[in-house]
Amino acid sequence: MGFKKQVFLLLLLSVVTGTRVSAQTWVVPDDQKAVVAPMKFTPDMQKQGEQVYLKNCQSCHGLPGKDNWAKLTPPPGDLAKEKAQKQTDGEIFYRITTGKIPMPEFRNIIPEDDRWAVIAFLRSFNPKYVQPAPKALAAFTGRSVTLEMQYSDPMKKIVVTAHEKLKDNSNVPAAGIEVLLSVKRYFGSLQVGEMRTTNARGEATFEFPADLPGNNTGNVDLTARVNDPKSQMKTTPATGTFAIGVPTDRPGLTETRAWWSTRGNAPIWLLLTYTLSVIIVWGIIIYIVSSILKIKKLSTHG
Amino acid sequence: MTMDDNKLTFEKITADLTHHIRINKGFVIWMGFLTVSLLACLFAYSLQLRTGLGVAGIRDYVTWGLYLSNFVFFVAASLIGMLVSAVLGLIGMKWITPITRIAETIAVAFAAVAGLVIVSDMGRPERLAYVFIYGRPQSPILWDVTVIVTYFVLSLMLLYLPLIADMAIIHNSKVAIPSWLRSIYKRFSLNFTDSPEQNRIINRSIRVLLILLVPAALSIHTVTSWLFAVTSRAGWDSSIFGPYFVSGAFVAGSAAVIIAMFFFRKNYKLENYLTDLHFNNMGKVLATVSLVYLYFNINEYLVPGYKLKRADAVHLQELLAGRDALLFWMVQIGGLVIPILFLLFRRFRKPVPVLVISIAVLIAAWFKRYLIVIPTQEHPFLPIQHVPQNFVHYSPTLIESMITIAPFILVLIIITLISKFFPVIPLHETAVEKGAEHIRFE
Ligand code: HEC
Repeated sequence: MGFKKQVFLLLLLSVVTGTRVSAQTWVVPDDQKAVVAPMKFTPDMQKQGEQVYLKNCQSCHGLPGKDNWAKLTPPPGDLAKEKAQKQTDGEIFYRITTGKIPMPEFRNIIPEDDRWAVIAFLRSFNPKYVQPAPKALAAFTGRSVTLEMQYSDPMKKIVVTAHEKLKDNSNVPAAGIEVLLSVKRYFGSLQVGEMRTTNARGEATFEFPADLPGNNTGNVDLTARVNDPKSQMKTTPATGTFAIGVPTDRPGLTETRAWWSTRGNAPIWLLLTYTLSVIIVWGIIIYIVSSILKIKKLSTHG
Repeated sequence: MTMDDNKLTFEKITADLTHHIRINKGFVIWMGFLTVSLLACLFAYSLQLRTGLGVAGIRDYVTWGLYLSNFVFFVAASLIGMLVSAVLGLIGMKWITPITRIAETIAVAFAAVAGLVIVSDMGRPERLAYVFIYGRPQSPILWDVTVIVTYFVLSLMLLYLPLIADMAIIHNSKVAIPSWLRSIYKRFSLNFTDSPEQNRIINRSIRVLLILLVPAALSIHTVTSWLFAVTSRAGWDSSIFGPYFVSGAFVAGSAAVIIAMFFFRKNYKLENYLTDLHFNNMGKVLATVSLVYLYFNINEYLVPGYKLKRADAVHLQELLAGRDALLFWMVQIGGLVIPILFLLFRRFRKPVPVLVISIAVLIAAWFKRYLIVIPTQEHPFLPIQHVPQNFVHYSPTLIESMITIAPFILVLIIITLISKFFPVIPLHETAVEKGAEHIRFE
């Protein structure tokens, strides 16, 4: 496809999707509307919800009942008012979870319990509200896997062990579990090696690269987690700190003098150049001004 | 200079260069018009202050819109003071005498207002002082603020110093000027009596200031260009942005000076002082700086166009053949190539044709800043997701446009006031150069 055509299609696509998004109305599927909270709303929960609300919602929705929401299109509205309050808990929960431009999707930002707490908080502004009977979520039936992590000195390897909790509460090694190992870096985490599958003893071993920098004592923070993209299991990751990195004593990016550093850490040569230029130029200006002021006294007529 | 000029007496020169200094009907109407327009624009600004920058068309993609391109234009236009007074003056061009004050006036007006233009782009203008309190010496923004203030002060002093002798002459003469103005003249002419010591101080100060003005002027526009060039955006990521901006500034400034010359010559009846020779020469200056600018333009577009790095490709596509193509070619051809071609001929450097050309050049110069600042922001390196369509393509709002016009009105007000209450053409210097006898200071 020619370049021009690509740009054109891209434009077209953005036009089409752009208009579609803004024309959408926000419908909540019926089964989601019917969802009710798994717990009873308590005053503690409302307090918890208030904190969550102030942190995540107030910037747009203002304080409930105060009608001081931000002027956005579409208007966010006051959530203590009729329009929001007449919706079911499930409806509000769905909206917080999925979001809709410009409201963010909070699915991965606010944990489920906190989302319910916000609703508990919002309902406290509605004297007519009666909470429907809580319905606990259906009991979890999938596998429940816990990871542990060790560094084996003789092998020079990271050994991750997976245990599975059976129905009778006994713990057995879990085979066939896919494990990912990552090491914490400046920004986010870096995967170490390939994904491994646990063997019959529930063990997966990882080689740790010899050249990865650690902190000044060589410590690195590792996390092992189960690869479970469809969330079919209940998994507990393992974390650990081991002195297996290359000890590195590098100052932080803003701890030395550099272009990109903070004001206090501007390069000396730059400070000198700037200050000297300003002093020289303004020194001359001040000198000239003072000599101009002398003109008056030099008049031949006094 | 013709024989005729030389015969002008001191009295005649004084009368010619000062007869416009009075409050007449035309002036009142013009100032009234400017004031009302300014108030309308200030009302628009009050809306922005109250509601926030959202009233302008700038969004997450294009965060630097009209305000910033306007700022670049204003800094550019102010550079002309340096070209005329310092460069042409220091290399000994005598013909510039009657133009120097016009150029300095334009420089002072545009430099003074450039700072305000930037404030219009601030969501919290009351935090302006934070630039100084918390500014990082590593940031070109701090350098820019510093050099603009410096350049403004230098230009103001260069406007003032030659005025000292003029004011001394006028306030002691029989020229009828308003009495309040006469007392201002008296105060600011510092008892100037043309004594050798006084002249020595003034001449030396002017010389030093002219020399300082060159690096200061180069800095202000180079640093302004760095506000863009220190990022890696396509269209800004360029090592020749400094000279590119400076040469472009001379183009805009020369055009502005020619327009102002034409206007003053006609309205203040200065035909004997701003002659065809001056228009011819300024036409040549405009042609020369335009050629230099054209040269930088070719570099700016051809070299990235040859390499066609991905982001540059998108940017150039939009400019040369896409959404902005019409504007781009109008600016490049109508505002640069065609003016250069015309200006090569003497016949087009006569006052009227050179005025028409300058108007075209100046308008194109404004849109050129628009093309430099805005289009590249519409295709950022990292796509910004889930935004409404009107975030993606910038279109200025009415309020924003009015806030953009306000600085122009302010510049016109400043230029009008300075030119109305002071001789547009240096009186003392002209009298000396024309060999007039009996120049009187008492
Ligand atoms: C970036 C701004 C923004 C933030 C932050 C935000 N919202 Fe919204 N919200 C909106 C907008 C805008 C709408 C209206 C959307 C529409 O009608 O299409 C909205 C709508 C809603 C609605 C539906 C209201 C109705 O009357 O139908 C609910 C409920 C809601 N938000 C809850 C929340 C909660 C709870 C939070 C905090 C966890 C939150 N919002 C954070 C902007 C925001």
